[in-house]
Amino acid sequence: MVSKYKIADVVFSAQFKYAYTRKICTSYLYDGEEQPEFFIEITEQDLVEEGKKAGDFPLPYLESLAVYRKFLGKLLDYNGTVFHSSALAVDDNAYLFTAPSGTGKSTHARLWREYLGDKVIMVNDDKPVIRLVDEDFFVYGTPWNGKHGLDTNCRVKIKAVCKLERGEQNAIQKLSKEQMLPTILSQTLRPQNASDFDKLLPLVSALLDKTDLYLLKCNTDIESAKLSYSVMSKGVKNEN
Amino acid sequence: MKIKEGFILREVSGSFIVVAVGEGTKTFNGMIQLNETGAFLWKLLESGATEEQMAEQMMKEYAVEKQVALCDVKEFIGSLKEANLIV
Repeated sequence: MVSKYKIADVVFSAQFKYAYTRKICTSYLYDGEEQPEFFIEITEQDLVEEGKKAGDFPLPYLESLAVYRKFLGKLLDYNGTVFHSSALAVDDNAYLFTAPSGTGKSTHARLWREYLGDKVIMVNDDKPVIRLVDEDFFVYGTPWNGKHGLDTNCRVKIKAVCKLERGEQNAIQKLSKEQMLPTILSQTLRPQNASDFDKLLPLVSALLDKTDLYLLKCNTDIESAKLSYSVMSKGVKNEN
Repeated sequence: MKIKEGFILREVSGSFIVVAVGEGTKTFNGMIQLNETGAFLWKLLESGATEEQMAEQMMKEYAVEKQVALCDVKEFIGSLKEANLIV
């Protein structure tokens, strides 16, 4: 059965073989009037390819990953890409915490929820989409939301991007665009060809230009969330 | 001596980076940040220039002595070799 979905404000139609993929996409089903921009279907061959890239996972899971890969391939034409991070929003401002897996993105996001309670909206805990719309950069929820399943189908303007590192003491500092660039590039899905790279790089550039950039060294104490929130919610102009 | 197939130089927000595409992604998925001189030399190398020619262009562009230019060129090529970007 072909269904229509809307992710990151892009309507598309898709036919999924596995119940798992249909299930995770449920909150993104779309029954409005907009025509789909494209169609996504995963072939046997796509599953084999995905297995080579992602690892030896059950087919339903591989299908969901392959769908994301295809969707992201299309999304470049809509000025969007994935940004591997824990994205949350407070007072209509989104904050993206990024780091290699296992550093503690989700943990830090949880500390914000403990500290700020219901003010926090979890946009997506693992693989949100970011998209440049006119002059502003937004983050969107997606069905791919990490092991804790935290996601909200919403769109929020990005205020800051923060790289996380573990530290004994909590400390936060501004980063320059040059310092942040490798992190941003490593946390998006790397295009395989030059023409896609040339679609991605203006997005990376715009993200560096339009958001506040930070490095937070933190432990798992709630004080770390108090510190990062107090600094990041005020916002400071970027260096250089 | 030339740059391997599948590596491209791009400018992002005032920084120069080299990333892998196509064939290059099989062996390399990081990125290399170059300064302005590095990007200048990369472009020359891409166009097939020899070390000697690169040094000459550098002398013109940056008004440095030949010895200094040659030394910089060798260091640059050395670092590319180390990163396994040259055949």
